[in-house]
Amino acid sequence: MVRRFGLRSIIAGTMVVALFASACSPSATPSGGSNAATATPAAGASDAAIGPKVEVVFWQRQFEDYQQAWFKKQVAAFNAAHPAIEVKYTAVPGDAWDAKLKAAQAAGKVPDVLTTNYGAIKPGVVNGQFAKLDGLMKPEAFADIADNVKDFVRTKDGYFGYPMLVEPSTVLYYRKDLFTAAGLDPAKPPKNWDELIADARALTKGGVYGMNIAQTAPDLGWSSWGLQYNAAGHLPIADDWSAPRATDPAYTKLLQLYQTLYTEKLMPQEATFPYADASFYGQGKVAMSAGGSWEIGQLSADFKDTLANTAIAAFPSVDGDATKPTSTLGGWTLTIDAKSKVQQQAADFVSWLLAGDPAIMTDFFKAAGYSKYSPRASVAAALAADPDASRNPYLAIVSRDVLPYAKAEPAYPWDVSIAFGTAIEKAMKGGDIDAALAEADKAIADVITKQKLAGTAP
Amino acid sequence: MIAPMAILLSIFVIYPLAYALYLSMFEISFYRDPVFVGPQFYGYVLDSPRFWNAISIGLRLAVMVVPVMLVIAFLIASLIRTLGRRLAGFLKTTIYLPTVVSGVVASVVFTLMYRLDGGLVNGALGVVGIGPFAYLSSPDLALPAIAVPAIWLGIGVSSLIMLAGMLDIPESYFEAAELEGAGFLAQTRYVTIPLLRNILLFLFVTGFILAMQQVDLPLVMTGGGPVDSTMTPNLFIFTQFKDPTPYATSFSLTAALILFFVLGSVSALIFRLVRSEKAVDA
Repeated sequence: MVRRFGLRSIIAGTMVVALFASACSPSATPSGGSNAATATPAAGASDAAIGPKVEVVFWQRQFEDYQQAWFKKQVAAFNAAHPAIEVKYTAVPGDAWDAKLKAAQAAGKVPDVLTTNYGAIKPGVVNGQFAKLDGLMKPEAFADIADNVKDFVRTKDGYFGYPMLVEPSTVLYYRKDLFTAAGLDPAKPPKNWDELIADARALTKGGVYGMNIAQTAPDLGWSSWGLQYNAAGHLPIADDWSAPRATDPAYTKLLQLYQTLYTEKLMPQEATFPYADASFYGQGKVAMSAGGSWEIGQLSADFKDTLANTAIAAFPSVDGDATKPTSTLGGWTLTIDAKSKVQQQAADFVSWLLAGDPAIMTDFFKAAGYSKYSPRASVAAALAADPDASRNPYLAIVSRDVLPYAKAEPAYPWDVSIAFGTAIEKAMKGGDIDAALAEADKAIADVITKQKLAGTAP
Repeated sequence: MIAPMAILLSIFVIYPLAYALYLSMFEISFYRDPVFVGPQFYGYVLDSPRFWNAISIGLRLAVMVVPVMLVIAFLIASLIRTLGRRLAGFLKTTIYLPTVVSGVVASVVFTLMYRLDGGLVNGALGVVGIGPFAYLSSPDLALPAIAVPAIWLGIGVSSLIMLAGMLDIPESYFEAAELEGAGFLAQTRYVTIPLLRNILLFLFVTGFILAMQQVDLPLVMTGGGPVDSTMTPNLFIFTQFKDPTPYATSFSLTAALILFFVLGSVSALIFRLVRSEKAVDA
């Protein structure tokens, strides 16, 4: 019986492993995915080609509803204007994105065009994942990119992504009416972390928490990058990725900030909504909230009453120095897969959508409630001339107080970020701060060794 | 007669396993040629505190789920055995219902029930002055909170399998025991449990393995958090696999293989501890 049952267990388990293994089959050769079925690579603009339509598969990471509507509209417009190309558009939910993309890579059915965040470009280039765009798009397209964004999408070998937007990951939203009710001056938002905690204490009453900020390790892993810079002037790894730096005493104050907010119940005690979602704030459950600039768009679409009482400011700095970074400058690009057999047609689509007529992207930023920022000089100029944009108070504050000091997203593996995010979460849940930082330091050292990171920083 | 089985085993078991072991010797990239690294990733996985934490979480979840599930299922099956046909049919249908509910749906329902603000559980406990608790945000409470729906989902099938086993026990055994003055507890101890031993063993081992491999409940309810306190082995492997680096791909494949051997070893150990050979002949 032991042997019989043991054999059954082995068979069942082996089949699981086998399925996994088959999904992981290494394949360095270009795949013949369905997207290539009718493809005929062309060197020039493919809309002049004669013959069957070339299919370009485009996966967009799903964001706010208006974004899906905008992409759908623009894809339809592109397809109508380019009879030789058919862009097949799919919006993929964010929580399914990584698994779906990796499964597609394993199966050799990766989309031709996909949304990629800035931090993923350089690791992806090292992995050979993206097509070089220099020969596929006109040089003027790259000249139009703002200088401080060019390095986000290029390596010494060229451009591997075309930027769509930039958005700071952290600004402070606060309720003017609740500030007044608590005896605080709505014209004077907190400037440093001590003031932030004091204001949060004053605002926490009547079933409303004073503050909201990320509280789970996966959210903390990326949303705290700006504050990591703010606290210590660096991220928890050496600039050349050769050694961990998580035990820098400067991080103690950062973890104390999160710990105080959580353990004193000045913020929600469970993550009903993720960091990127403004619903806690929009529903009036918190008086202040840390969030990305994109939340302006969500508030203006779904929580108009709350927005009417909202002011925004740069997130407080550890010591009140407003020139220290408090945010990373995240955002999204479109990349073309290295294995795509329709790279030119895919690039034509990217050129038309992101690097073509500025009116197309101006339309996007208008739909976004001016909560995101253009990395293109021509689009920024068009927005500056737009009366609606120039009247938008939030746009002006973020442009003046946040964007100039924001840092680029780090390009190191996510394991480093999650190690530090876990340390913050442990401190929030009452753990010892020094022990949490020491554990993060050890974990990051382990990542450096096993993933051979030393000296590989881009 | 052996040939078909040998061929099928070769195609579906031996070759894939051998190929998986072969692949685990490479750092796998979907864009570049794989790099041979030998058994390096086995060392990486075995050296990973998060991997062993995940194994520990899986074991703790199994310890929370399996005994409670078996006891409740046994009591339900014992009750149904004594009922009339109609009522028994109704109860069997009722207890089987959770089994047809998908794990994802159950996860969403229990997440809503556990909510700090407006959750049913906190509301009920609040009536007697207990709580409220942030069940899914507390490293101490999150795993037990996940064990509850795991038990709920597993009770139906366990109860019906036990009931089938009980109905196979000749009624004369119970009648004889009754004539000897044995009550429910004595009948359970001297008749039911000994004659259900194979079934209990089967449910124990399969329940243990299923609990160790639980992934949908923690994935939906907590994402493995807070601070990895619900990061079961398969969820850990899945989380690693999603990472875009070649390192993560090879690490997750190797971790899956090691988990396979760990679960096989645990199963073998359980069989040895409960002396299953004797159980067959009982």
